[in-house]
Amino acid sequence: MVKTYKDLREFLVTLEEEGQLVRVKDEVMPEPDLGAAGRAAANSKSAPAILFEKVKGYKYSVVTNVHGSWENHALMMGMPKNTPVKDQFYELNRRWDKFPVAPKKLPREEALCKENEINENINLFEVLPLYRINEQDGGFFISKASVITADPADPEDMNSQNVGTYRIQVKDKNVIGIQALPFHDIGIQLRKAEETNTPLPVAIALGNNPLVTFMASTPVMYNQNEYEFVGALQDGVPCEITKADLYPHLYVPAHAEVVLEGYIKPRVRTVEGPFGEFPGSYSGCRLQGEIVIEKVTHRTNPIFENLYLGLPWTEIDYLMALNTSVPLYKQLKASFPEIEAVNAMYTHGMGTIISTKSRLGGFGKAVAFRLLSTPHGMPYSKIIIVVDEFVDPFNLEQVMWALTTRVRPADHVSVIENCPGMPLDPSSVPAGMHSKLIIDATTPVPPEPNPRDVELLKPSAATPKWEEFIKKFQAGLK
Amino acid sequence: MKCPRCDKEEVRVMVKSPVGDVWEVYVCDNCFFSWRSTETINVLPQFKLNDQKIATMQMIPPIPPLKG
Repeated sequence: MVKTYKDLREFLVTLEEEGQLVRVKDEVMPEPDLGAAGRAAANSKSAPAILFEKVKGYKYSVVTNVHGSWENHALMMGMPKNTPVKDQFYELNRRWDKFPVAPKKLPREEALCKENEINENINLFEVLPLYRINEQDGGFFISKASVITADPADPEDMNSQNVGTYRIQVKDKNVIGIQALPFHDIGIQLRKAEETNTPLPVAIALGNNPLVTFMASTPVMYNQNEYEFVGALQDGVPCEITKADLYPHLYVPAHAEVVLEGYIKPRVRTVEGPFGEFPGSYSGCRLQGEIVIEKVTHRTNPIFENLYLGLPWTEIDYLMALNTSVPLYKQLKASFPEIEAVNAMYTHGMGTIISTKSRLGGFGKAVAFRLLSTPHGMPYSKIIIVVDEFVDPFNLEQVMWALTTRVRPADHVSVIENCPGMPLDPSSVPAGMHSKLIIDATTPVPPEPNPRDVELLKPSAATPKWEEFIKKFQAGLK
Repeated sequence: MKCPRCDKEEVRVMVKSPVGDVWEVYVCDNCFFSWRSTETINVLPQFKLNDQKIATMQMIPPIPPLKG
C-alpha cells in the first residue's frame, strides 16, 4: 500500500520531515514577500515548500510551493523523494489504470472542512491572507483552487461533476472573477447555464490533499470524475469527500482547509487581469465571469495554500507536467498501441514529445494528428516532436539526437495553419488561434523510402558491468 | 483618490486589515484594479486602461445566445 495523505496538513508534516518545507516564523509583508519567496523557492535546488506563520494584518498562515519540485512531487505520490521523473511517470501510469475508484462520501460531522462556517457578511480577507503574486497583476489572485461545478443539464451526475483549477481574482470582499475558457470543462457548463440565464453553482476548495489539487490540474475527459482518479492515484484508497452546504449536489474534498460556496452570475463579464501566467508572461486584461460567494466553511486555523507562477519552471509547471503527459499518453495509446511514452511537460503540453513504433510510412505524423484531436492537445499542443520508440522522450539529449539525425526538413516538418490555440500563449494571434508544427523524427518505414538505412551503434554486453564499476567509484567519493 | 490604472475617481476602500489597523485594500469600481496601502504601485503603460480599451476587450468566454 502506498503512502497517502488525508489532507494538506498530513502532507506538510511529511515535507517537513523530509527537509522539503521551510517554516518562516517571523512576520512577513503580504507584498512583496509572499510572491518573492515563491519565486525564490522555484530558483532553489530541490525547491522546498515555504510556510509563513505570520503575515502582517492577517489572522492565518500561508503555504506556497507545496508541489514545486520533483522531490515534493515524488513525496506526493508516496515515493522516495529522489525518485527519477521517468519512474514517477511509469508509476502514475500504473495507478492511472485503477480508475475509477469510487470516493468515500463522509457525513458533514466527519468532514473537517466544516469545523467553522460563515453565513453572512462574507469577507474573504478574514479567512485568506490574500496577496499580489506578481508586481503587475491586476489584484490579488487565488492561483491554486480546486473549483467544483456540475453539468446544468444533469447536476446529479458525478461523472461530469468537474474539479478544475482556474485562476481567480478577488474583486471584492465576497466577489471573485474566474477564467473559464470555452474549451475547459467549466466553460462547457457555464455555457449551458448562460443559455438559459441561470446561475451556475460553484464550490471552491482551497488547501487540499495534494493529489486532489494534482487531479484538479489534470486534463481528463469531460465525463471522467477527478475524485475517482484521486482514488486511483492513491493506489485504490478512496478520496474522502462531502456535500457542499448550499448546493448539496456538489461534493468537496472533506478535509479542505477552506471551502467557498456561491454561484457564477449568468451573462455577466467584468474586467479581469492582467495576471502573470504559466507561459511566463502577463496575460492582458479580459472581460471574464464573476462569482458571488454566499458561504464559507473552514478548518480551525486554516492554512491558505497558493502558488507562485512565473518564467518556467515554477510550482505551476509541476502541476501540469506528468499529469498532462499521462492522460495524453493514455488517450493516444488507446488509438495506437505502438505509442511508447508521451512527454507533455513543456508549458502544459504546448511542447510535446511522443515516442512510438512506426506501423507504416507517415505514422509519426498520424500520431501527431491524433494528439491534436484530443481535447487538451487541440488547443494547447503547438510544437509536436515524434521520435522512435527507443528514444526516451524525457531525455532531451536523445530527442535532440533524433532531430539532428532523423529529420529531412523538406519532408518531415509540417506546419498546419488556422488551428485552435491556447489564448494565454502570447504567440497565439488572435488569442485562441494558432498554427501547429509537427516534426516527425522517426526513422522512415515502408512505403516511405529510406534509401540510406543505417545500423545503429549498440553498447557492448560488458557495458553494464562498467556502469556498475563507475557507480561504485562515485559512491565511494561521497 | 484616483485609480492608478484607469485614472477614474471611482475608488473605494474594499477592506481593512483583519488584524490591527495596519493596511487597507482599495478597489476601482470601474476597472477592478485593487491594491494595498502598503504597496508602491507602478502600473506599466501597456497595462493602463481607458473606456475605449475596456469597451473593446476580448470576452472570455463569449456570452452565448439565449435558448428558448
